[in-house]
Amino acid sequence: MRIDIHTHTARCKSGDAPTREISAPDFCEKILSTDVGIVAITNHNFFDLEQYRVIERGLGASAQVWPGVELDIVEEGVRGHLIVIVSPARSEDFSAAVTALTGGSTPDGFFGTIEQVLAHFEPLEPIYVAHYRQKKPNLSENALDMLLAGTRYPQRVIKEVTNSISAGIYISHGHPSIYGSDVQDWSDYDEIARNLPELRLPVDSFEHFCFLLEKDQATINTALDRKTVEEVVLQPFEDESFLKLKVFNDINVVFGAKGTGKSCILRAIARHYSENGLDARVYEPGSDRLNEIFDIRGKDLQINLVPYGVHYCSDEIEAVRAAKEAEVTSLSKYVTYFASKSTNRNAKLVLLKDIDPEEDGPSKRDFLDAVEAVEKTSAYLTFLESNDAARTVLTEPERDELLRLLSAFLKALQAKAWSTFVAWKEVALLKAAVTLFRKEVERKTGTPAKPTTTGFRRYGANRNKIAGSVAAILKSIDTAIPPIIATIGTLGKNKGTLELRTEFYFQNGNVTDGELLSLGGPKKSTQKKFAAQVRLIHGRVYSDDLFQCIARLREIEDVEGIKTVYELVLFKKYFALDGRAYEPSSGEASMVMLQEELARDADVYILDEPERSLGNEYISDVIVPLINERARAGKRVFISTHDANIAVRTLPYSSVYRSHDHDGYKTYVGNPFTNRLLNTSDESDHLDWRIVSMRTLEGGPAAFGERGRIYGHT
Amino acid sequence: MVTLKASVQTADDKRFLDITLESGAVRIPISDDNPNQVKSAFNRLIERIKSGAFIIELDEVGDDLFSQVANEYIGQLNKEIQEVREEMKKFKLVGEDES
Repeated sequence: MRIDIHTHTARCKSGDAPTREISAPDFCEKILSTDVGIVAITNHNFFDLEQYRVIERGLGASAQVWPGVELDIVEEGVRGHLIVIVSPARSEDFSAAVTALTGGSTPDGFFGTIEQVLAHFEPLEPIYVAHYRQKKPNLSENALDMLLAGTRYPQRVIKEVTNSISAGIYISHGHPSIYGSDVQDWSDYDEIARNLPELRLPVDSFEHFCFLLEKDQATINTALDRKTVEEVVLQPFEDESFLKLKVFNDINVVFGAKGTGKSCILRAIARHYSENGLDARVYEPGSDRLNEIFDIRGKDLQINLVPYGVHYCSDEIEAVRAAKEAEVTSLSKYVTYFASKSTNRNAKLVLLKDIDPEEDGPSKRDFLDAVEAVEKTSAYLTFLESNDAARTVLTEPERDELLRLLSAFLKALQAKAWSTFVAWKEVALLKAAVTLFRKEVERKTGTPAKPTTTGFRRYGANRNKIAGSVAAILKSIDTAIPPIIATIGTLGKNKGTLELRTEFYFQNGNVTDGELLSLGGPKKSTQKKFAAQVRLIHGRVYSDDLFQCIARLREIEDVEGIKTVYELVLFKKYFALDGRAYEPSSGEASMVMLQEELARDADVYILDEPERSLGNEYISDVIVPLINERARAGKRVFISTHDANIAVRTLPYSSVYRSHDHDGYKTYVGNPFTNRLLNTSDESDHLDWRIVSMRTLEGGPAAFGERGRIYGHT
Repeated sequence: MVTLKASVQTADDKRFLDITLESGAVRIPISDDNPNQVKSAFNRLIERIKSGAFIIELDEVGDDLFSQVANEYIGQLNKEIQEVREEMKKFKLVGEDES
């Protein structure tokens, strides 16, 4: 949730842009379309109570709207702006106070003093937000001192600066600071809202916000405790001393100088959760493991070819490999038959032998077609009767009519199947009888029977079977498989997104890319020779040398390893940027590994110095948001770090600080909201969280310079 | 349907059945057992099937032994050619629309 303490709804002063004006319904729509959960209306020297009420009703429980005003203050001849914001409960009194203060002046003509402001608003217990330094027109240091001296609530005096970086810098120097949109053009608000300060702790109301500003311990603890808290007892160190930690299902940071045992604490945390049945492991950056993690060598790579319409062709490959030539009928049998046509009287009586039998193939095919039609129609009828969707889409009479027609169709098909069966068997039996009688006459009379076939059918069928098998194999291995592209992670704003591309190819006899690896096991040379030979066979199926080609296929070394076209798959797995192969640097490798770790679905994330090899910008723009997102999802995140970008910008609910001096090791726990770190062994020993983190963490001041966008440590 | 002519030929005292395809004659030995030559002839006939349906017809069927052999052989061959053609259609090795 974000907060905007400075907005305008009306064009009050002559210098205000028309784009600053917005109606109450449009204002509500704008706010509700963003992540802004708290907004203050702070028009120049003017408060419109009626509009405020309409907006309050319009936002309902979805967002808080606080009444405010941006006043022109003049002290010692110097003009500056001061925002006064009060509780919604005091909106009516506030309206009266603004009217009383501004009197009969127009917003353009009003100038007030700090004294007047205090006199009119102090009873309403407001928050004061003063334009500061670069935020023009800024309140003078003198006017600010007067305000701080005159108010009963100096901790509610905040300095408004221009942006998050300025806010962070001032905060690091002890100045409570914030920034608002000071919106000039409402059409830009969606974009502006994305950069407004984010509330790290939940804020229920104006009063609650004030308590947090005053660093009220109880209020902070209550806010923190809205997260799931648990106490874990660890034994991280060799001295077997116990370390009791309060951990949140949010961000928990361990920081301190090198060699103070941060990694030991993380390992103990991992052990603790593992023993409690959670998937917990310590992530340590290691760029050299990138290829292993993403299985670039494809050790565990597999692919299901079916979705790509590829038939595995195990039967076809076996058929080609085992193919044998079909023999033809020797013509001498015909010559012998006609040369010695039987003169045996009894043989002449057996007329059956002289019938030219029909081939039974066509009638058999007719029968099989009919059987297939019966089976499929019958299955479809069963499906129609059992499927709810199919049953309910028609009215009962329509359904009855459909079923009647289909049943009649099925009956006709069954009759057809029977008649074709009879026809097939008639031909087959006759053929069998002719063959048998010819053999018997031949045996009894010693004269050869007339051959029943030239062998052409058998010969052609054999060649056709080989042709069909080879065509099926080639169809499969000529299929193009689209690459599988997985987004690995971003390498930062300027570089783009790193992808992991896995390209698959079939060795079709022509693939020569040396970077491709064999997926199925056989050597690449075997794959290539096999595919090339199958392609050659395809062109020689009806040639005299077909079986020489098949013999050469069988002779290929290790060819028996190719049982399906899967064994002909080649692959290339590589990282790519903008579609081109890219070798990530060690820093980039660390980036993507960390993103991969955080993308993992887990309850506990334990990151040991995740910043190693990573740039500040990347940590801020990519890693910190990812960590925050995990925390928002209620995950426990533990991070040991030397990097202020992580420790400061994530505003951890729990911080563990390890130090080492001449007295030995010390462990402090605390958080940035109370700004305190307490020694776990000595309650009287406490440190300032901000100062320790500034001093201990690399890039501390710079990190503070950007953390102003996150409220919590003002 | 195309009719391809066939005839019994004699060469070097050997008898052959010559089938005249558009691409040239296919020769099947009758008086010799030469399976490889028969297979080679069959290969050419299968290739011819791809170009369309056809029937083989023997010129001048005489009463001599080899005419009878050739006549019987061609009768059986014609039936088997039609069967192979049907099968090739089924495997989509020839187009359905070719007649």
